[in-house]
Amino acid sequence: MSASRVFQFVLDRLIWFILLLVILFFTFRVGGFLSGPNLINILLHASVLGMLTIGQTICLLSGNFDLSAEGNLSLLTVLATWLMLPYREMTLAQAGGIGWEVHPFIVIPIMLVLGTFIGYINGFLITRLKMNNFIVTLAMQLVLRGIAFVISLGAIMPGTPRAFNWLGGGRIGPIPVSVIFTLLVFILFAYILRNTRFGRELYAVGGNREAARASGFNPERLITMAYTIGGFMAAIASWMLLGRLEVSVPNLGVGMTLETVAASVIGGVALAGGAGTIWGAFSGVLLLSIIDNGLNLMAVDPFWVNGIRGLIILIALLIEAQKVRFRPQVGRAAARTEAGVSYQAVQK
Amino acid sequence: MEAEAKKILLEMKAIHKAFPGVQALSDVDFTVWEGEIHGLVGKNGAGKSTLMAILMGLQGVDSGTITIDGTRFSEMTPSEALAAGVAYVPQRINMMSALTVAENILAGDLPVNRMGFVNWREVYREAEERLDKLGLKLDVRQKVEGLGVAEQAMLAIAKALFSNAKLIILDEPTAALPRPEIDRLFGFVRSLKDRGVAFIYISHHLEEVFEICDRVTVLRNGYLVETREVKELDTAGLIRLMVGEDVKEFERERAPLAQEEPVMVVKGLTRRGHYEGIDFTVCRGEVVALSGLEGSGASALGKGLYGLERRGQGQVLVNGEVLTARSPEEALKQGVAYLPQDRYLYGLVGARPVRENITYPILGRLVRALGLIQAERERAIVERYIRELGIITPSPEQAVNLLSGGNQQKVVFAKLAATQPAVLVLHEPTQGIDVHAKLDIYRIVSELSAQGVAILIVSSEVRELLGVCDRILVMYNGTITREFRVGEPEANPAEILLAIEGGNNHVRQ
Repeated sequence: MSASRVFQFVLDRLIWFILLLVILFFTFRVGGFLSGPNLINILLHASVLGMLTIGQTICLLSGNFDLSAEGNLSLLTVLATWLMLPYREMTLAQAGGIGWEVHPFIVIPIMLVLGTFIGYINGFLITRLKMNNFIVTLAMQLVLRGIAFVISLGAIMPGTPRAFNWLGGGRIGPIPVSVIFTLLVFILFAYILRNTRFGRELYAVGGNREAARASGFNPERLITMAYTIGGFMAAIASWMLLGRLEVSVPNLGVGMTLETVAASVIGGVALAGGAGTIWGAFSGVLLLSIIDNGLNLMAVDPFWVNGIRGLIILIALLIEAQKVRFRPQVGRAAARTEAGVSYQAVQK
Repeated sequence: MEAEAKKILLEMKAIHKAFPGVQALSDVDFTVWEGEIHGLVGKNGAGKSTLMAILMGLQGVDSGTITIDGTRFSEMTPSEALAAGVAYVPQRINMMSALTVAENILAGDLPVNRMGFVNWREVYREAEERLDKLGLKLDVRQKVEGLGVAEQAMLAIAKALFSNAKLIILDEPTAALPRPEIDRLFGFVRSLKDRGVAFIYISHHLEEVFEICDRVTVLRNGYLVETREVKELDTAGLIRLMVGEDVKEFERERAPLAQEEPVMVVKGLTRRGHYEGIDFTVCRGEVVALSGLEGSGASALGKGLYGLERRGQGQVLVNGEVLTARSPEEALKQGVAYLPQDRYLYGLVGARPVRENITYPILGRLVRALGLIQAERERAIVERYIRELGIITPSPEQAVNLLSGGNQQKVVFAKLAATQPAVLVLHEPTQGIDVHAKLDIYRIVSELSAQGVAILIVSSEVRELLGVCDRILVMYNGTITREFRVGEPEANPAEILLAIEGGNNHVRQ
């Protein structure tokens, strides 16, 4: 392998090397960073973020944002506790439920169906009614969280049954169920995107929607499908998170939408669609989770944490944008072709 | 005598320009005088666009010089071209359409009062005054999107003049314009010419060149054939210069059709504003061309057959079955495949590998349960088409946008051929690809037709069509005006181009 090949090899896997550096940094700076309990802590955070990020990545690959997932999360967790609580009375600090003590085996399917349906509605509004994806999903986030506030009266609802908590709180030996589950779902989606017709169409539609249409695909159907999957993943994430916390609050997950976008983009998923992989997004999830955890352990002032996070996202994007420069022939050829094409387009 | 009295405004001397695989311009000497309207004609690929791109500083030259109003350039940037007074007015005007005429005129230089706020009264007065000087009557408070197409073009010209343009390139300004609008536009252009402004007028509509131009330059295959006074020429003569006496580039071996088996039958197809009463048949193994100027309806018809646009009323039969497809997805199922004119926009997903691009339309046949793609079968099909069509790529996994134009076009062909269509509609299949790739493309077309595919080519590359087609249908103004059978004496380039231009319209038998 020549030097330039090695360089290229590193460049293509840059995010994983950065991840390694960050881990080394925290290992030397923070005692106990590599301890078992702390690693599990990191993975627990990564699992809920990971579920949401898979949904986000699928939508981004189709060339669309899904900003509604955290609203979905808020509504489904609140609704589930509301249905499962055995009492209706409200106290000063906490709200009561509907008082029916609905069994988790009924509540979980309700969550999954409702979450998926919300995703489908997003897709319907965007593809059939030709509304802008950014605004539709942003508005959806507000609507869903708004409903969550109305149901919960803005208060905490504590106590979820054991049967419900298995996914989010259960353990197999020392390993949390949610961590194993998340890993399996990542493997599943990596396989789907690579080997199925759906995956193939997703990249085609995101890469060039009109060419995909002219190739006999139905971009509208596919985008609706992407949002539906996004809704389903948000429902799974809700189930997982609520099972771990055992308490619902309507402002649960505030800010997670941006984290999912950041994780996808750090992992190389193109905002314009059609490029990026599930494993890239996975690396982004790990990076964000590790940084959060490390800064926390270093007792960095929480007011600083957000700023540092933002800085890291900027640096990741900067590196991504600069990568092109290291491949001069390809980059320039592409730029020239683009200029030629746009001039030809003007000509027509 | 008169010629010597005129001042040379632009002189492009010994311009050479090559692109990979094509000599786009060879030793071109192009001169424009002050106060003249200079037509620039030639077939697609003759070098007009490249010459103008060089003049606008969008392309460098391999050798040669450009002199504008006494200033000599060997290499020019777009801003230098603008500063030298060259302006380009495209067919689709690019302006801030939601803003008023006045704002567009004074954009970047709006009069303000002492507080830094825009002085609107001054804006409108100033804009009106400037337009008045040019003798252009427009409501300056009107939004640009509310103007007619010709008015927008005039506004674009006026704007260019306000920024001191001396030489204005008009690129197909009259496509899709009704006659009275054309008259207004021409009136304005002539009045400016009298004030000394020079125009380069690019058009496929030759009658307009005769109407408005003083001189005309003909380009062919990258060579400047001649620059002549328009008075000395007639349409037929001009077409002869454009067509030249090139050798035929490709000749398909035409096996006589054993019997005529109609595959695609079009009956009375009418789409208002695009085409009317279209009847034709394409038989098994036949190659038929549909030729017409932009706006003749030929390209709308091609897209309509594939469900990319509305098809309108009337009937289309494919293998005896009524074509009901309203989307490419359905058209492919009914056996119609389509090669788009713009392969970057509609043909390929550039960032994805050759392999995926080839199998997009046939994925439905390659999947087993749960939508899993059969990788082995896919690879076999892809390798077969890469071999048969001679696609040059380092591997099937190469991203398609890293291939050359000709190879990209072959990938699109592979993709279409893989669907095993009954009818293949090709829209300008050789546009923007080099000569060798062109031959390959026509070889592929011949093979597909020998396999029994009915092929319809929407194109005006008459010389190429004569080599590959059995029949050429000419469309003009939305109807089929003439039919040529290749091999008959009238089926020669000059006669066909004349028909495409709308001259000598015979009633079709």
